[in-house]
Amino acid sequence: MSKIIVMTSGKGGVGKTTSSAAFATGLALRGFKTVVIDFDVGLRNLDLVMGCERRVVFDFINVINGEAKLNQALIKDKRIENLYILPTSQTRDKDALTREGVEKVLNELSKDFDYILCDSPAGIERGALMSLYFADHAIIVTNPEVSSVRDSDRILGVLNSRSRRAEQGLEPVTQQLLLTRYDPERVEKGEMLKVDDVLEILAIPLLGVIPESQAVLRASNVGMPVILDEVSNAGLAYSDAVGRFLGEDIEHRFVTPQKKGLFSRLLRRSA
Amino acid sequence: MSIFNFFRAAPRASAVQAKERLQIVMAHERAGRSGPDYLPMLQQELLAVIAKYVNIDENKVEVKLDRGGDCSTLEVNIELPAREQAKAAAAAKTAEKSAGNDVGAAKRPAGGAVGNGGAKKRI
Repeated sequence: MSKIIVMTSGKGGVGKTTSSAAFATGLALRGFKTVVIDFDVGLRNLDLVMGCERRVVFDFINVINGEAKLNQALIKDKRIENLYILPTSQTRDKDALTREGVEKVLNELSKDFDYILCDSPAGIERGALMSLYFADHAIIVTNPEVSSVRDSDRILGVLNSRSRRAEQGLEPVTQQLLLTRYDPERVEKGEMLKVDDVLEILAIPLLGVIPESQAVLRASNVGMPVILDEVSNAGLAYSDAVGRFLGEDIEHRFVTPQKKGLFSRLLRRSA
Repeated sequence: MSIFNFFRAAPRASAVQAKERLQIVMAHERAGRSGPDYLPMLQQELLAVIAKYVNIDENKVEVKLDRGGDCSTLEVNIELPAREQAKAAAAAKTAEKSAGNDVGAAKRPAGGAVGNGGAKKRI
């Protein structure tokens, strides 16, 4: 029986797809058979971030509608063993996501996979609701910024009231915070909310802090999940977060400004 | 950096303001979210009943649900109008001393049904 994870945030542009790609890759790297599903019907981008956009033939909606078999739509990652992508439709809209259809696909996937990662669209409408409905675990992607924190709180409320686990009175969906685009230097100057501030406000456990990093844009440019960039802070931070998700005790890195040596100061170079 | 900046008082860190603003707005939103959604309806129906007997101002009604540890309080505050000035003076002795007073406040155990306790009249 597989575990269903939803990567969600309420607000758009905070790094859900980047995090989904990185997280799914991280789980597969540790040997778990993992599939990552794009729920952003009509605005698909997971395929681009994963670098498989030219291999999309059938999609999630085709499978829901019975127009294609699941294994025709699943794309096997070329780099990582155990990693699969289920892209979504670029032409349909979110109404194509029926609860029965999504459930059918998830049930079929759960026979084969250890982890099913659902990449939620922004908002709290159908697409987002469907992506979180069947979840066992939720990873809340948040930027240290007022609108993102407020929207995350909203989505936590939705998870607690409108997920399957909430509706059926089962054990609640576990919730963990992934704080992305964190800039320790701005935090030190008092220009950005601290990790502890966000934790105090949202009151959920911390899964990881991903530092603001140029590596994220570089990785998406070339269609590579940033976790595969093993020299970047962001890649390492995602790797740590995956470890923590699996129960390892890993200290948080990149939450304080890195001391720059005279040499790098002179060259004004940043990692 | 100009030399003048050195003497200027440092502005309050914007992150501190961000946190305070978030805490306030979210306290409001969470309260609204956890509240049962029959409150607006209850308020309207209560009003309709009371309006049958007393001339009240719709804007001077407040329905509030506070959740405590083991006891929730449903508080209904309705401001009754002062009697029409002329009558008021004459009837001051005999009329109910309700003019200008708040009426209501029903207590109920957490999770229980509304109406477990009688409405008290505070005079």
